[in-house]
Amino acid sequence: MGLIPDFKKIATRSPWIYRINAGSCNGCDVEMATTALIPRYDIERLGCQYCGSPKHADIVLISGPLTVRVKDAVLRMYEEIPDPKVTVAVGVCPISGGIFRESYAVLAPIDQYIPIDVNVPGCPPRPQAIIAGVARAIDIWRERL
Amino acid sequence: MNFLTIFARNLKQGPQTEAFPLGPAFTPERLRGRIEFKAESCEGCRICERVCPANAIRFAKTPDGMTFDCWHNTCVFCGNCEFYCPTDAIHQTNDWDLSHANADKFDMVEHGLIPNQKCADCGATALNTAPMVKNAKPPLSAEEYTELRARCPKCRAKYLKNRKVPA
Ligand code: SF4
Ligand code: SF4
Ligand code: SF4
Repeated sequence: MGLIPDFKKIATRSPWIYRINAGSCNGCDVEMATTALIPRYDIERLGCQYCGSPKHADIVLISGPLTVRVKDAVLRMYEEIPDPKVTVAVGVCPISGGIFRESYAVLAPIDQYIPIDVNVPGCPPRPQAIIAGVARAIDIWRERL
Repeated sequence: MNFLTIFARNLKQGPQTEAFPLGPAFTPERLRGRIEFKAESCEGCRICERVCPANAIRFAKTPDGMTFDCWHNTCVFCGNCEFYCPTDAIHQTNDWDLSHANADKFDMVEHGLIPNQKCADCGATALNTAPMVKNAKPPLSAEEYTELRARCPKCRAKYLKNRKVPA
């Protein structure tokens, strides 16, 4: 019994991040890659790491306005992520649709389909803003564990 | 030898990683961030609403006057509104830290009100907008500006027409 809280403590140190592109223009994805992949912003200082499989993810970053075409794929992918998961909407696209709002081809806002926890507005948000959003997500994730 | 100079330089400069989030973030002076609205200097021309590509700005008539709302969650920080605003009523700050919990989604709004007033001349109810006097010659004095501002659009036009221009 005594071991379980310790395990939790260890586990909370390193949430893994997964990225879903729900039809984004790629602007936000470039910024998300920037937050992690270059030493200048280095999100690994927060213990985070990008992972390649939804099954390993703890925090999921979603960009794009959820186009009609990718909707099923995105929902299927989202289902694959184990609980507890924290969802961060990156960019104004998933939050409201941004400049694509009210288009016939997009289903934004994305929180109609997927429960969103943190929003990071911007088109695209700067890497620092995404890191701030991820930091917020980590706090929520720790509570959920 | 070469790698030794690089090594020494790196030792001196320290890591290139930005301090944020463990320290303050570098923010350029002219970064295009959150929109700010000053109701006092707004002329009520609604050009900003028209040029906004994301339809983030909405004016609405209410019993108290005209309200301005800019929803940061659909604004794309393009700066069109500031560029086309004839006054400095709308301004883009360099505040970029807008992340928030989804529950606060609809609170991320810049709100302003251009109140109604009674015209000092005819008593009609009109918006207390900033007068459009950019091209007035000679420029209005502070008193004239206050007097002009207290009037409705029709009386403003009259006031400007009857204004005694010193030779
Ligand atoms: S928020 Fe802007 S940059 Fe990001 S995916 Fe949408 S349109 Fe592209
Ligand atoms: S903010 Fe500027 S552009 Fe918008 S209505 Fe006021 S004066 Fe016109
Ligand atoms: S910056 Fe662009 S998107 Fe944002 S309110 Fe102004 S015109 Fe609209």
